[in-house]
Amino acid sequence: MIDVVSGLEQNAYTFGYALKYKIERVNGLAMSKAEIPIVKRSLFSWILAGNLKLQLLLLLIIVVMVMIRVLPLEMQKRIINEAINLRSIDKLLLYSGFYLAAVFFFSVLKYLTNIIQTLITQRTTARMRKDLYHHILTLPLNFFRKTQPGTVVNALSSELTLPGNFVGMAVASPFTNILTLLAFAGYLFLLNPLLAAVSLSIYPIVVFLVPLLQKGVNKYNKKRVDAARKFSARVAESISGIHEIHGNGAYRIENRKYDALVDRLLKIRIAWSLYRFAVKTSNGFFTGLGPFLVFLLGGYLAIKGRLELGALVAFLSAQERLFDPWKDLIEFYQVYQDGRINYDKTMRYFDVEPEHEIEPKDREPLQLENSVEVKDLSFATDTGIHLLDGINLSLKPGEHLALVGFSGSGKSTLALCIGQLYKYTGGSIMIGDREVSELTKKDMTNNIGFVAQSPFIFDGTIEENILYSTMAQIDDNGQGVNNKIPTLDDIIAVLHQTGIFVDILRFGLNAILTHDQNEELVKMIIRVRKNFQQDFGQELADYVEFFNENKYLYYSSISENLIFGAANKDEFADINLCRNEYFLNFLNTADLTRPLLSLGADLCRQTVDILGNLPPDAVFFEQSPINAEELEEYKIFVEQLKKKKLHELSGEDRQKLLELALRFTPAVHKMAALPEMLETLILEGRALFREKIAIDHPHAITFVQMSKYIYSQTILNNIFFGKTKTTSPQAQESINQSIIQLLIEEDLLETIIEIGMHYQVGTKGDKLSGGQQQKLAIARIFLKAPRILIMDEATSALDNKSQARIQNLLETRWKKKNTVISVVHRLDTIKNFDKVAVMKAGKILETGTYDELMARKGMLYELVGKK
Amino acid sequence: MSSLEKNNSTPSCEFQGNLEILRQTYFFSSLPLETLKIFAYLCTREKFRQGEYIFRQDEDDGQAFYFIEGRAILERTDNGTTTEIRDCKTGEFLGGLTLLGETRRLFSLKSVTDTTCLVLNRGKFLKTMEQFPNLLARICNAVAQSIDTWEDRFLADRGVECGECRTRLGVTLI
Repeated sequence: MIDVVSGLEQNAYTFGYALKYKIERVNGLAMSKAEIPIVKRSLFSWILAGNLKLQLLLLLIIVVMVMIRVLPLEMQKRIINEAINLRSIDKLLLYSGFYLAAVFFFSVLKYLTNIIQTLITQRTTARMRKDLYHHILTLPLNFFRKTQPGTVVNALSSELTLPGNFVGMAVASPFTNILTLLAFAGYLFLLNPLLAAVSLSIYPIVVFLVPLLQKGVNKYNKKRVDAARKFSARVAESISGIHEIHGNGAYRIENRKYDALVDRLLKIRIAWSLYRFAVKTSNGFFTGLGPFLVFLLGGYLAIKGRLELGALVAFLSAQERLFDPWKDLIEFYQVYQDGRINYDKTMRYFDVEPEHEIEPKDREPLQLENSVEVKDLSFATDTGIHLLDGINLSLKPGEHLALVGFSGSGKSTLALCIGQLYKYTGGSIMIGDREVSELTKKDMTNNIGFVAQSPFIFDGTIEENILYSTMAQIDDNGQGVNNKIPTLDDIIAVLHQTGIFVDILRFGLNAILTHDQNEELVKMIIRVRKNFQQDFGQELADYVEFFNENKYLYYSSISENLIFGAANKDEFADINLCRNEYFLNFLNTADLTRPLLSLGADLCRQTVDILGNLPPDAVFFEQSPINAEELEEYKIFVEQLKKKKLHELSGEDRQKLLELALRFTPAVHKMAALPEMLETLILEGRALFREKIAIDHPHAITFVQMSKYIYSQTILNNIFFGKTKTTSPQAQESINQSIIQLLIEEDLLETIIEIGMHYQVGTKGDKLSGGQQQKLAIARIFLKAPRILIMDEATSALDNKSQARIQNLLETRWKKKNTVISVVHRLDTIKNFDKVAVMKAGKILETGTYDELMARKGMLYELVGKK
Repeated sequence: MSSLEKNNSTPSCEFQGNLEILRQTYFFSSLPLETLKIFAYLCTREKFRQGEYIFRQDEDDGQAFYFIEGRAILERTDNGTTTEIRDCKTGEFLGGLTLLGETRRLFSLKSVTDTTCLVLNRGKFLKTMEQFPNLLARICNAVAQSIDTWEDRFLADRGVECGECRTRLGVTLI
């Protein structure tokens, strides 16, 4: 639910966001300042880095643990030789007490080492993930053309788990186990050197055999990492291209590709596991031979009286305890090998140099003069194709340049080179007196703003997206460039400039307020409602279906028509009505159950028939009573409906149909009819429900009244006291104008805009239209107000008015101050640019003012003619 | 501007009605019923008041219209002078080309009586066609034939009177 921020201090408005951002940045920078890039670091370098104190503590605890671990063995020997032989109860109790204390303390210390190891493992894995992610983000754009997102996700998630585990074990495991082995071996030699030598003679065989088998494990582990990477990339590609798969019905093709990868992974994993088990089994087999030798030789010595029975028991017990540390050592060895392979393969994959330094190390970021000088510039691909060749152009500070030409002429490539997003391969680009290729990213982003043709909008609120470019500039002290952090006024000004103000106002007006929100706001909205009725009620009557107790509302759902108010109790909320016993009884009383079930079945059949094979795209489902995520369930349900009559349906199925029927909004869901009889019954039912509920649950519903805020409806519907009937742009324009006028009168405009700024734009901004996305991208750059602005067909999805507004703004406010380089697709917008450069096949064919070039009747003249 | 005022234009009638209209419109008529149903579902009915502009010259509204009821006039403005081109009447379909790609209107369309149109926009059209890429060829064929028929008729009816414009004939040759 949207949180209404009223009377908000403007500085406080951005401060919270800036502070949060600063903390994130400081964390991020701490990592990026690591001297050696993560991809060059060895796996061993992680063992002590950042973990030194914990590792030392671990060592100390382990020494104590090993000492404690030997104690029970000595106690065993003394209990048998001294307490039992001498029949001394006191000694039995004493040694048993020591034994118990040793076991207890050992367990406590063991638990402590586990905690410390887990801490080291998790902290190291987290640091690896952060550092690697920070590194990946700096890699050249070219790298991402060859790399699937799934590969990156897999590397950051699963492939770094084993290396992290290794680091957690790297000190504790070998130290504990080798020390324990030595302690037990020493103790064995103390007890009987001959027996000790015989029982330890097995271990060299294991030491020889295990690495041989481990080679097989490593071989298949490498294959597994590669296969897992391909697998992740495959899944990511299928999901990204799901439209194409649906469109072509290419399920079998995709299934075949996927199944083949899964099968390959299956085979590799089986071979990998077999080798791993072979290591374990052979280790178990050889170490299992130890007691056999001890029994054979020890038994012989005991029979001959050359070995005490207590010593033999202690020897067997000590030897048995050799197995655990030995087994742990072998396991550690395997974790090391697997971790090393995962780590090396991952780091090698991402071992690509960033093309430019991220931040200057020994100086402040530069404030560049905003002139641009391009000399003999060329840009060639890896395969030697020249996308740009011999480009020369010059822009004084504040000049505006339009780059025009056919698709593929190199306009965007040139813009990307000037913006340092591509690294040019020859020639020079100077911004002020600095060569672009030698500048850091920070120098560039502090001076340049870039708007792409298909801008990327991040999941989050409008506000977060608008502040994105500005907040990226915030330094470690929480200050922006020139100490400038935008205020709400700055933001609103930019919203107007880019024409997204009305869209955000609309998002705000479509918000639903909760009971606990600002009472003052609610009162103001009711005042606006009254003024709307007086000033615009008549004029906009065609566009609005007003709430009227005596009329059926075609733009409201059946449940809204019946309840005709807002629920104050959860059980009467729209989504719960079909499970509310009281309401279900009321439907029976009002003779509504049967016709509603019939309507629900009709809706279900028709919707599945029309939308059954379409992907879950908002375009297809905004006029449907069935949500995209419910479609599969209803598809199965339709099959059941074919076999059963309505009265044969189970309670749950009837509920499902009722739910659908209650959602039915005749003017929106056009695939089914609202029978005239049902319409009459619903109107009668509305009156009956009001009577009944007033007696049975007097406070459950607040009925729709002119003087009350309706909490179940949007702010806009509250102002209208009704619902809009049209989506036509002209009608929307008339509505917007009247609403803005009323909101200004009530001083409510900013509050509604603030609510709209909290609108969640969805993944990749998918809840916004293409035009809104472009406006948002332009707004975030305008807010940043860079000294040089590069626009790559940045207004292509905008309507004429918005495009003209932005063009006008650039001409009146930016000219002679901020330099603009604009890749233009519509030639009617370039007349007032200071310079126009016409490109073809990677070269500039002509440069000059629009009038000069048109008079010359060259390439531009031809292009304009063709357009 | 309402799609539903009385129950005699019930939603079912509207969906069925839309379907009937699309089946008889050259642009859509070659499509299979499954696809037509989706378009019939996605179309909206819009009312335009007398004197209201349905679209304006130089704008890219991206919509196609079928005139269910009413009449509109097509205008073109050059150098501030507006010329009436022709009437658009009930049963006429226009704007098919704009569904296929970005095009600025070369004319304005103004309703001269209260008018009801069946409207489909480019976003919905293209999203749907993404699901049936093979059918795009049928639409292109219908458009190509329509342009061909138009020029053929124009040449037969008015070709002789063309005068200086004759050198610009040949839209079918683009």
